[in-house]
Amino acid sequence: MHAIDRHAWTNRWRRHHPGEQLLLAGGGLVLALTLPPLTAGPLLCILMAGATVVGAGVPMRAFLGVMALPTGFLLTSAPFLALSLDLRDGLHLAYSPAGATLALAVTLRSLGALSCLAFLALTTPVAELVPWLRRLGVPAAVVEIALLIYRLIFIFMERAVTGQQAQAARQGYSTRRRSLRSLGLLIATLFQRALERARRLEVGLAARGYVGELRVLTPERPLSRRRLAGIGGLLLAVALGSVLLDRGLV
Amino acid sequence: MHIMEGFLPPVHAAAWGLASLPFLVMGARSVVRVTREHPRAKLLLASAGAFAFVLSALKIPSVTGSCSHPTGTGLGAILFGPAVMAVLGAIVLLFQALLLAHGGLTTLGANIFSMAIAGPWVAYGVFRLARTLGGPLALGVFLAAALGDLATYLVTSVQLALAFPDPVSGFLGALTKFGSVFALTQIPLAIIEGLLTVLVVNLLIQFSRDDLDELAFAPGVVR
Repeated sequence: MHAIDRHAWTNRWRRHHPGEQLLLAGGGLVLALTLPPLTAGPLLCILMAGATVVGAGVPMRAFLGVMALPTGFLLTSAPFLALSLDLRDGLHLAYSPAGATLALAVTLRSLGALSCLAFLALTTPVAELVPWLRRLGVPAAVVEIALLIYRLIFIFMERAVTGQQAQAARQGYSTRRRSLRSLGLLIATLFQRALERARRLEVGLAARGYVGELRVLTPERPLSRRRLAGIGGLLLAVALGSVLLDRGLV
Repeated sequence: MHIMEGFLPPVHAAAWGLASLPFLVMGARSVVRVTREHPRAKLLLASAGAFAFVLSALKIPSVTGSCSHPTGTGLGAILFGPAVMAVLGAIVLLFQALLLAHGGLTTLGANIFSMAIAGPWVAYGVFRLARTLGGPLALGVFLAAALGDLATYLVTSVQLALAFPDPVSGFLGALTKFGSVFALTQIPLAIIEGLLTVLVVNLLIQFSRDDLDELAFAPGVVR
């Protein structure tokens, strides 16, 4: 989590208008879901890896790291689609060729979509994406809460992880019974601390004249027409490429 | 149980997003109302959301040896009520996708429906029912958390079965397939989460009565 957030804040495209990254990732997601997955999936993976590594200058390791865990989940769950269950007389589990084709298609579609998510996560800070929710009609109060949550996550996370380490160092997780008790204590403490944090935030903000609205200065970043056109072109190329390859024309 | 990015076909992804929408609108309205009446509730809700996110980073001991994490669905529904939980849950799921690549943007609607709507509503309903019937607090909390978890898994199984019906036996076959895979791993986890939530609520009642009283604006509340 820290790695993703760090790259999002430090990559080369950090100062670009977030709408550009959003267009590339969002367009990619739409393509991943609508185009024939056998060709679009791999093409999108290549495009997104290229944009992340060559374009934004995020190390390949980080990109692969983000992709690795969900890919593991995918490879363990997709094979279930290739198994067919017959309920007619008793339970029969059998391999199904139609299911296998589907499993392959779903795997590639997921990988393609996942690469778009990885690109967005690694190149655009969450704090820049959340204000876009306003444009989707999300009320200002909710957006503000979302931004506050983002700020607090990292503080709480550190507390939770060090708390669990401290408990483990005191044999808090040596037996199953004790682990449950330790985890319960940890969660209750975290909850108390969360409320305490909220109180302190409130006092601090009240001292600065808080009346229910947090105003922050967002730097003006112009949308670059050149880059938008480039992104459109790349997406179009992927769309054309995958359709042509799928029909065996290339 | 997060459905990963791109796993659902486009029509299903969009349909689950639409199904979640009314609950999110309702939840957002109640958040706006609560924060207008109590400006400081904003900070409290944000803390609660961050707390829910962090729960998913804690490891829970599991029977099968594998590790999993508490969902906090039951706890959140009891403390803050299901309407607010839908909004907080949706934000947490969005951040899990963007910060952990856990879940996804195209499957956000489906994940919100199972984890931020079905789970909390079932947990809340069970809790209220148990309390109305005069059951002890611990039993109500346990059932709420455990059944809330199971409802989440059930909805996820239904979502997957609808999207990928079995080539031979159709929807029911697929539901049996996905359901039994989940049942093996998730029923023990649901029981553990139930026990864990009872522990947490007991500790909170013992040590932070005042904090719980502060949550008075929320409809749930262990009182």
